[in-house]
Amino acid sequence: MVFKPEVIEQLERARSRYEEEVERILSGLPGPRTGHVTFSGKPVKPLYTPADIGDLDFFKDLSFPGSYPFTRGAFPAGYLTRGLHIRQVTGYGTAEETNARWKFLLSKGANALSVVPDDGSGCRADSDDDRVRGLVGAGGVALDTLYDYETLFEGIDMTRYPVHMITLSAYALACYLVLAQDRGIDLKALRGSMSNGIRPHPECLDILEFCAKEAPLFNAGYLDMRNVREGGCTAAQEIAFGVACAMAGTDALIERGLGVDDFLHRITWFVNAGPELFEEVAKFRAMRKVWARVFGERYGARDPGSLMCRMHCQIYAPTLTMQQPFNNLVRGAIYALGAVMGGVQSLHVNSFDEALALPTEFSASLSVRTQQIIDLETGITRVIDPLGGSYYVEWLTRELEVEAISIIDRIQEMGGAFKAWNWMCSEIRDAAIRNQSEFDSGRRKLVGVNVLVEENDIQTRALRVLQKHADFEALYEYSPELADKQVARLSKVRSERDPDRVEVARRHLIEAMKAGRNMIPPLVEAVRHGLTRGEFARVKAEVYDEPGGGPYVCDPPAVLA
Amino acid sequence: MERIRFLLSRDDWYHQRGYWVVAKALSEAGVEVILGGIQTPREIVQTALHEDVDVIGYRLMDASPQVVIGILFQEMRQAGLEGVPVVVGGIIPEKDETLIREMGVKDVFRPFDPLDSIKERVLAVARAARA
Repeated sequence: MVFKPEVIEQLERARSRYEEEVERILSGLPGPRTGHVTFSGKPVKPLYTPADIGDLDFFKDLSFPGSYPFTRGAFPAGYLTRGLHIRQVTGYGTAEETNARWKFLLSKGANALSVVPDDGSGCRADSDDDRVRGLVGAGGVALDTLYDYETLFEGIDMTRYPVHMITLSAYALACYLVLAQDRGIDLKALRGSMSNGIRPHPECLDILEFCAKEAPLFNAGYLDMRNVREGGCTAAQEIAFGVACAMAGTDALIERGLGVDDFLHRITWFVNAGPELFEEVAKFRAMRKVWARVFGERYGARDPGSLMCRMHCQIYAPTLTMQQPFNNLVRGAIYALGAVMGGVQSLHVNSFDEALALPTEFSASLSVRTQQIIDLETGITRVIDPLGGSYYVEWLTRELEVEAISIIDRIQEMGGAFKAWNWMCSEIRDAAIRNQSEFDSGRRKLVGVNVLVEENDIQTRALRVLQKHADFEALYEYSPELADKQVARLSKVRSERDPDRVEVARRHLIEAMKAGRNMIPPLVEAVRHGLTRGEFARVKAEVYDEPGGGPYVCDPPAVLA
Repeated sequence: MERIRFLLSRDDWYHQRGYWVVAKALSEAGVEVILGGIQTPREIVQTALHEDVDVIGYRLMDASPQVVIGILFQEMRQAGLEGVPVVVGGIIPEKDETLIREMGVKDVFRPFDPLDSIKERVLAVARAARA
């Protein structure tokens, strides 16, 4: 008990007097002034007191950072042990352009790296394939072959900078493993991570299984709840859907003969931080607690590494506006505060030009500086869980924990996340529509969009002036020539490789996949001999009967019910 | 007037929010929404033929609008679908907007265009095509 019962009782009496007083003051003023509903739909009061968290038990509910249930942080000393990973998503053009951007970001003080390939369409066809015209090097970097990965990592010390690859594909992992081997890095010591979202697919499970055994420090499993949140879901759903997916993946791996502590510590989260600052802080705290409780209590995980939930955060983008674009710098800083006060391990702050184009050196460096200002100037990273003990934040943390657990139980009743997939999707879409209608009706404010609107606003004009007169790139423009450059890189690999060796390696890969053996070892060999990502996609299409040469999550044409 | 048949397709997998929100809003406005999912221009044309749609909507996020819309119109001409109007939504750079409007795109929707306005504009495009 944090507070004595008699204190709570006394408080309750005083609080009703206080609330009457507030009501009296507000009743004389125009318009509704109370009744705020959080971004995730939780009604909140104007004031919180110890009475709202009277039954909180310090050791059971909060404890110390780095101790079960990890509410206050994954590691005992928070950012004091290891600073915030400043990690901006990077990827455009060919591996050359992206390698240069990585080096630019490192020169500005970024200390972690992330790469996004251009296969967000789910179609992993090669860059010379007709189906991907207009996509090559557009929404990410074109990575067709091992040669592209070699260029991407040129001059980058893989043992010094943690690298994240934003892809579900085993192809990327295979290339990463080859690079490590070529550089003499022991796979047992290899670090890094990838967006291998937990899903009922052999590719996902092969990656988890292989890394658990051969590359145990590589974060092989990923809960991408950040994009799910952007899709529209609430903070509690962000927690619950992620935990439920991890539970389903855990069940599948236990069936393959692994123990929960063999792999759970290598599943990390990709999370969001949006406008409702305190709710976001509470969410990160509740997320850690729910994770520890579910895997400690229900799965018997014992390794502290399994029970501590670690996160990379990218701030919420749907509220970053194309109108008055520099306002997004302010939004980015506020959303980032929520992430840092919530104790995330790694962070990407979206650039102010998010709603306009891919980031430039100019805008990406401002994202890096935002994080450095928080880290170096505000003192926030010097105190662990600085909002712990706030009546409001503790109350919100509890609320989100309870709501998330109840959603998880509901998913389990449906047979687990893999079976409840469609239900989760429809929940996300319903929440998105509710959220959108709040903005359309003006019930939820967004500066420059539904309030404080400016015609021909000065910030947009300022950006246009920069575009026209600056001696640097002020707003990114895709150049279709980048695709030609990539096709030339790919042709070089095709002409230089030994086709017979590729074919033998390809057949070995197919045999292993058809026999249900782990695909990673033969894929590593095939990649070495020059198998391309498009050829790997065709192999998957053949073995797993996937449509269209490889996308796994494709909604087939249908009439909306 | 017969129900308007609207094909909605998109270019990437990660970002789906606008796609679903617009689909639902149009559907509630009485439009028959055919969800194309992630489609290349060629696949869009195949679905448009098969489903006999009145309007094609393409949500673009990753793809270069000037490149894929160019291909889309080329494929539509080959398939004899020149008469079907195309609207586009998503993150569309200003320069691309000018280019794709010149190519023949009837309307371009952006983040935070109110759903009511999107509905009206889609209906207007469909009516103009039928007239």
